[in-house]
Amino acid sequence: MITQMQVKGLMFDPYNNAYIVILRDDDQSEMLPIWVGKSEASSISLAIENVAPPRPMTHDFMKAYLDAFNAKVISVVITDLNEHTYFAKVHLTYADSEYTVDSRPSDAIALALRTQAPIFASESVIRKQSSEELDQWLENLKPEDFGKLDS
Amino acid sequence: MEEHAPQTTEPLIQLAVNRVVEDSNTDTRIVVLTRADGGADHFMVWVGASEGEAIRRALDTSTTPRPMSHDLIKSFGEHLGIKMERAVLTDVKSSTYYATVFLENKGVVRTIDSRPSDAIALALRCQAPIYVTQDVWKRRTGQNLDAWLSKLETKNIGAQEV
Repeated sequence: MITQMQVKGLMFDPYNNAYIVILRDDDQSEMLPIWVGKSEASSISLAIENVAPPRPMTHDFMKAYLDAFNAKVISVVITDLNEHTYFAKVHLTYADSEYTVDSRPSDAIALALRTQAPIFASESVIRKQSSEELDQWLENLKPEDFGKLDS
Repeated sequence: MEEHAPQTTEPLIQLAVNRVVEDSNTDTRIVVLTRADGGADHFMVWVGASEGEAIRRALDTSTTPRPMSHDLIKSFGEHLGIKMERAVLTDVKSSTYYATVFLENKGVVRTIDSRPSDAIALALRCQAPIYVTQDVWKRRTGQNLDAWLSKLETKNIGAQEV
């Protein structure tokens, strides 16, 4: 079973000096936080805000690479969570064949947002994710921790 | 006849990535390239920290537990049968370098516009050659920056060893 997720936003995690991509399902019943690095967060932020930078960023380049041969991203799936590391798969079609490529969720999400491909999470990832822990963590956040990405 | 030779036939200069230098003052990286023919002159490109680290990892042939962005692009190529033929630094405008990546699949060649950092990071992973046009080579910056660069490297010596 997989559930379709939407990117709800990005937050800065001051405790880990990292960024969190928040995914939510369409019913707003499940939430999946994914910790990503600064440059990955910046790339996802540009895609969310639909900002075209003057030069192609790495994921724009990635999209151009696939577009050059008319390879299409069908979907991306967050497949596994292991010791706070998430695993993802990018599903592609190219010349009537399907391909599945192993990826970090940050790359998969940054690419999905640029190619309008749906993002899914496997049930096991959502089950493993302890939302209780996250709720507690969110309660401890100060309002100033929520802000626009500075890059 | 020679005087009519178009500029585009001027041979490209092949470059080799020599090293990535950390500029801790600005949180950028300087990619130092040298001529593959052994010429002493350097070609330097300023890139962002994460792009610089992507190039450094390829130079060190260090692996990460999970595929980084350029590893993913390489992986797409391996799955789909797309070969990276070469990267060419084609232009410089307002101190910004432009690159073109040449890709090939079943005899069809496609080019894509790229920042030099992505072109170099992918070329190193795909063992594709990196070239610069004669024009861009002549207009390169940092021709007199060798002394400054060595000073920067001395200052960062600790960081370089990590």
